Amino acid sequence: MRAFVIRRIMTSIPSVLGVVTLVFFMIHLAPGDPVEIMLGENAAPADRAALTKQLKLDRPIFEQYLSFLRGVATLDLGESIHTKKSVAGSIAERYGATLKLALASMLFAVTLAIPLGALAAVKKDTRYDRGAMMASLVGVSMPSFWLGPMLILAFAVELKWLPVAGADDWSSIILPAVTLGSAMSAILARLTRSTMIETLGEEYIITARAKGLSGFAVIFKHALGNALLPVVTIAGLQLGALLGGAIITETIFAWPGLGRLTIQAINARDYPLTQGCVLTIALSYVAVNLLTDILYALIDPRVRLK
Amino acid sequence: MTRGWFCWDNAALFAFIAFFSFSCSKTPAVEQGSLTMALEAGPAMIDPLKSTDAVAAKIEGLVFNGLVKRNDDFTISPDLAERWEFIADPLRAVFHLRSGVKFHDGSAFTSNDVKRAMDFILNPENASPLRSSFADVKSVEVSDDHTVIFNLNRKTAPFLSSLTLGIPKLGASNPVGTGPFRIVEIKRDDKVILERNAVYFDGAPKMSRLIIKIIPDETVRTLSLESGEVQIIMNPITPDLLPRFRENQRLKAVTSPSANYSYLGFNMEDPLAGNIAVRKAVAHAIDRQSVMSHILKGLAEPATGPISPNSGFYEGAVERYGYDPEKAKKILDEAGFPDPDGSGPTKRFTLRYSTSQNELRRRIAEVFQWQLEKVGIGLDIRSYEWGAFYADIKKGNFQIFSLTWVGVADPDILRYMFHSESMPPDGANRGRYKNAELDLLLSAGVTADGEGRRRVYSEAQKIIARDLPYVSLWRPLNVAVTDRRVREFHLSPDEGIKSLKNVYVEN
Repeated sequence: MRAFVIRRIMTSIPSVLGVVTLVFFMIHLAPGDPVEIMLGENAAPADRAALTKQLKLDRPIFEQYLSFLRGVATLDLGESIHTKKSVAGSIAERYGATLKLALASMLFAVTLAIPLGALAAVKKDTRYDRGAMMASLVGVSMPSFWLGPMLILAFAVELKWLPVAGADDWSSIILPAVTLGSAMSAILARLTRSTMIETLGEEYIITARAKGLSGFAVIFKHALGNALLPVVTIAGLQLGALLGGAIITETIFAWPGLGRLTIQAINARDYPLTQGCVLTIALSYVAVNLLTDILYALIDPRVRLK
Repeated sequence: MTRGWFCWDNAALFAFIAFFSFSCSKTPAVEQGSLTMALEAGPAMIDPLKSTDAVAAKIEGLVFNGLVKRNDDFTISPDLAERWEFIADPLRAVFHLRSGVKFHDGSAFTSNDVKRAMDFILNPENASPLRSSFADVKSVEVSDDHTVIFNLNRKTAPFLSSLTLGIPKLGASNPVGTGPFRIVEIKRDDKVILERNAVYFDGAPKMSRLIIKIIPDETVRTLSLESGEVQIIMNPITPDLLPRFRENQRLKAVTSPSANYSYLGFNMEDPLAGNIAVRKAVAHAIDRQSVMSHILKGLAEPATGPISPNSGFYEGAVERYGYDPEKAKKILDEAGFPDPDGSGPTKRFTLRYSTSQNELRRRIAEVFQWQLEKVGIGLDIRSYEWGAFYADIKKGNFQIFSLTWVGVADPDILRYMFHSESMPPDGANRGRYKNAELDLLLSAGVTADGEGRRRVYSEAQKIIARDLPYVSLWRPLNVAVTDRRVREFHLSPDEGIKSLKNVYVEN
């Protein structure tokens, strides 16, 4: 197990490095100059030159890249050009909010999707099945920039049960989590249904039924566990994506997460902060994928972590 | 699919429509003593000596005071300084400070605080974005606790305006000022909580607490206001939303003049855009009034030049270009640009019109395209991502572009816009306009005084209106929408929210 984890970490280093390298050069080559954004257009040329020098933006780009890599290796991501705060600190401040939202929407999606998908499979071709699949089609078809405002209109403006936006208390997370989780839950429900139908047709399930086991035991003990394997993989990938920050949902609900921070950093051409955000997103993906693999082994005894 | 499901669908649809059309007649309660305002973005930092963004400037206006303040008519009046005088040989400005002023942490405000702030800005190592505004300040010294002396290279008119800069207490871990509100908490990109400064020297504010919520999405800001969670929202507000606000009995829209100016800029080095006949024809061919009424829904006023009519330097007696398509055609015919097929599809010539991807600007561009077509001018609209658009404008890679100047206060800005030595990258003469007579006037305006300065800018505005490096479009109005019970709120011309000091909620 330990060897597996170490090997997986080692093999993910090149992909993380690739991502940060690509982003480093892309943001440096994009039009727009952080010095001008900071000092404004009417700054004196001497001040502009001084700040460029202070931020080390006058060095050759390759030298800047090496110095960035040295920073990453020594866990020093530098200081935001715009806010003068430490990049690691700014990300840490936001990561909690992103993590909370990602976990809450995942919880919503899984709690809804697995029972819905499993029951749809068991009651295949009934009104229940068609209803559940239609609901999931609706769920996956509603973009968050539409669903978000609709939920706000219903539950915050008219019913006044929940706050419109912000991150004030536990109730603030419900609407963004539902917005973010509904499309995911729709995908997971459809996936659960199809893998469950496949599993229910397997010989060992027929055998179990023939042995006279109750329907409940067959479905939940024998079938569901196996049917969930691909669901875990997809859910893991989606969680990885959520940890990168859900920009649209965060913007709609004024949720102070990593997605908004990344976009702001890019718009302000805040190079160190952009690089720090992208590095965090890449590392989150790697970590979640690793956890998914470990979870996979726990669910499926045939899979061994070698 | 069975028939039963269709029935379900219909029932669900009815429930959905009934649910959303349910209108709430209750008036939401405003927490006594607390007021919430929503802004579209959060401040990068709150520090008047370093920040450059517009949101920070709004909040800083509530937390800090400058030595002087700018009034809504762009005049300067005392703030932390009670009075001041200029003394020659050597040239210096002496400011006498108000006594008894306290910072939010209880410490006394003295001349040393002004010196420390100025020393910070003047020190090149601090890379303060404000250093260029104080280029004529040699040094700052104090003679006693309430007198501060600025040693100057020359006396310039914009010097006093630049002293509207807020004075913070340096060395404090949180932003500490002398203003009507003190900062309680800054949650980046979430909210800023302010509390009333009960010992504010100019009278304590009426509201005990102000919450500035950051809500980036306009629809959600609107819904927050309608739900009663927020009591004030302000520009940018899409003009199309205005009728919705006006219909709502619980809300009111407050408009006020702004210091913003929208215009069409021409590339004077381009053979077509650089031709005065072409610029005049464009100026006569576009119907600004119809854009202002139908697209901007009345949220703009006519403009004759960059300087606002509220400014003491405004010159109204300049050449004006009313909507007159026949005159536009005549000018073009006489200038040697005949229309090959009259009202047919072939154009006299086509101009490239660069704009950003802002939806409103693109719609306006399409209206201009249609209007110019009627006089035989083709318009090729190109809308670019902001960074690319701005880079092109600065490089001179355009024929016509459309932009808005924000916060036009001191007329010295004309030097920055039109002086031949103010071309990009160090200036904003993006059209590469050159007029030696205007250069002389704009240089003289920097150090001129009183009536002389007024005459200089009056002449300069006449020249600019005659040469048309810009075709004036309009002056967008500032707009805020508030809960009907909110009293005394208005936006200052520079979109400032200092009026919050006097705001109260009527129960």
